[in-house]
Amino acid sequence: MTDNERPPVQLELPLPFPELSGDMPLLPARMINEYQYCPRLAYLEWVQGEWAASADTVEGDHAHRRVDKPSKRFPEADELDDTEKLHGRSITLSSNRLGLIAKLDLIEAEDGIVTPIDYKRGKRPHVARGAYDPERVQLCVQAMVLREHGYVCEEGALYFVQSRERVRVVFDDELEQLTQNAINGLRLIAAGGHIPDPLLDSPKCSGCSLVGICLPDEVNYLRHADLEPRPLAVMRDEALPVYVQAYKAKIGKKGEELEISIDDEKVQTARLVDVSQVVVMGNVYITTPCLQDLMKREIPVSWHSYGGWFVGHTVGTGHKNVELRTAQYKASFDDKTCLAIARNLVRAKIQNSRTLARRNWRSDVPVEPLLDALKNLADKALRATDLPQLLGIEGGAAAQYFAAFDQLIKKPDDSKQLSFDFNTRNRRPPTDPVNALLSFAYAMLTRTWTMNLSAVGLDPYRGFYHQPRYGRPALALDLMEPFRPIIADSTVLQVINNGEVRPTDFVSAAGSVNLNDGGRKRFIAAFERRMSQEITHPLFGYKVDYRRLFEIQARLFGRYLLGELPEYPNFTTR
Amino acid sequence: MAAYEHLYIITYDIRDPKRWRRVFRLMKGYGEWLQLSVFQCRLSRKRHAELIALLDGIIHHNEDHILIVNIGPAETVKPSVVSLGKDFEVVARQPVIV
Repeated sequence: MTDNERPPVQLELPLPFPELSGDMPLLPARMINEYQYCPRLAYLEWVQGEWAASADTVEGDHAHRRVDKPSKRFPEADELDDTEKLHGRSITLSSNRLGLIAKLDLIEAEDGIVTPIDYKRGKRPHVARGAYDPERVQLCVQAMVLREHGYVCEEGALYFVQSRERVRVVFDDELEQLTQNAINGLRLIAAGGHIPDPLLDSPKCSGCSLVGICLPDEVNYLRHADLEPRPLAVMRDEALPVYVQAYKAKIGKKGEELEISIDDEKVQTARLVDVSQVVVMGNVYITTPCLQDLMKREIPVSWHSYGGWFVGHTVGTGHKNVELRTAQYKASFDDKTCLAIARNLVRAKIQNSRTLARRNWRSDVPVEPLLDALKNLADKALRATDLPQLLGIEGGAAAQYFAAFDQLIKKPDDSKQLSFDFNTRNRRPPTDPVNALLSFAYAMLTRTWTMNLSAVGLDPYRGFYHQPRYGRPALALDLMEPFRPIIADSTVLQVINNGEVRPTDFVSAAGSVNLNDGGRKRFIAAFERRMSQEITHPLFGYKVDYRRLFEIQARLFGRYLLGELPEYPNFTTR
Repeated sequence: MAAYEHLYIITYDIRDPKRWRRVFRLMKGYGEWLQLSVFQCRLSRKRHAELIALLDGIIHHNEDHILIVNIGPAETVKPSVVSLGKDFEVVARQPVIV
């Protein structure tokens, strides 16, 4: 980059940096590297505290194993002998004046001159300067800190573990200028509190471990819609939930596995690496070592009554992204924002229930009047002027939709067989099998969304459409609205129409109806199957399963709250 | 989505019973125990890197030996494995419901 290409910010001026006071964090050299690679990445990691591991980062840590064992002693600058050749490993140095901190993989000292050596996984890149700028800049930061401590340091080296090659890096004026710009740039964006724009169609993104959090292509697409998003965010390995609802079950940890036992007899094991969350229903207990390990691995545990009622969840120390939560609270106090979000959510929900009705209609009665009515209500939702009015529109749509819900249920050919009948939606407690299934499905969906939202750093209890009430995950209820028909209702229809759950799978007590053990297990399996189903995203055009889609939607909602997107893109199917 | 997960057959010879036990326990966390000292694992690139890093930290390089054989994308590998006697079931990925 030449001088006239640089943005006209005061980056060139040496920023007089005040001596650090108590709560100003030192910038790590690695972060300067990230900034040089992509300013947005540095912002996500440094300011928002986001992190995700990838194969590359795991390999990188592994490549560092030799230099990560700290040396016992390395002489200070004035004690440095002139003749000795010395090695120091994993030494952390900082400078309050520069506001920098660096962990040096390896320092070599010879003739009173020190050379920092930074370990990199992989092979030496064949580029003009022998290495890419981010790595060279990182090394230069290390040199700056070393000099600040009085060492003489003229050049450094990058060691590439895979090809076992060293690349010399000379700290010339040009590199120092580049480094200074990166330091100032990062300081500027951190102080400004504005996330830099994502890179445009950059090849760097596919190698970035934070791509699923940053959503570069999706954000760019929603802002100026020119390039179709690459399916970068979709590629992620996927762990799955573990449900334990058996009576008197116990969950313990054995080695790298969860062990589930009933009456001290092992019934099932699950590899911890394959577990995304643990769902506990009813009288089940988890041992403390197991619970601690789950928290360390950031695997949430959600607790439910035996009937599926969501009681609460256990997470580790929580998500670091405070900025996101602050934005969420701020927006939630603004009536106009609340209404705008709510209108779109309700419209998407009505549209999706319309789609579901159209797809599953099984009656001779024509479906068109219902579809027209729902379409009108969906349009009307967009014109609602306040939340109560919107609630009325949603209620009206639900009444029409559930009045027709029985037409979506398959009737048995043999009239002597028991059949599912649905008259009207009721709950607390549900009085017939279909309502019981619907209630259970909504409870499952609420749980999924609550977990999902807290995993991306939002607060599930502060909503926009649903007003906060004691113990109610309002934001989860908000964002799940459009998914009620396409996930919950559709699973219910599927298990009934495929005969996976039969009328005999229910127990009834004093007019309230509930699923029995076997029925519940099959229903949970069907729900999870639905969550694994792949669909083509209507906006982005790539294939994605619902589980991952929920996360993308939640992150996009966060991007909207932080002001990066003009509107939250609701999900509707055709 | 699962296309980028590959199936691996991992076999090991560990000289010391203590290390052998550690390797076995680690392997149980990453794959399915197939036969004595043989596991099948379904690994993404990241998990593959993790496993190698962990195994590398346990074994002694001049005494022990671990072989990690990639036998292809996890979903489509079945026809290229011949199994006599017992059945060979590729590790499936599904939620655990107890």
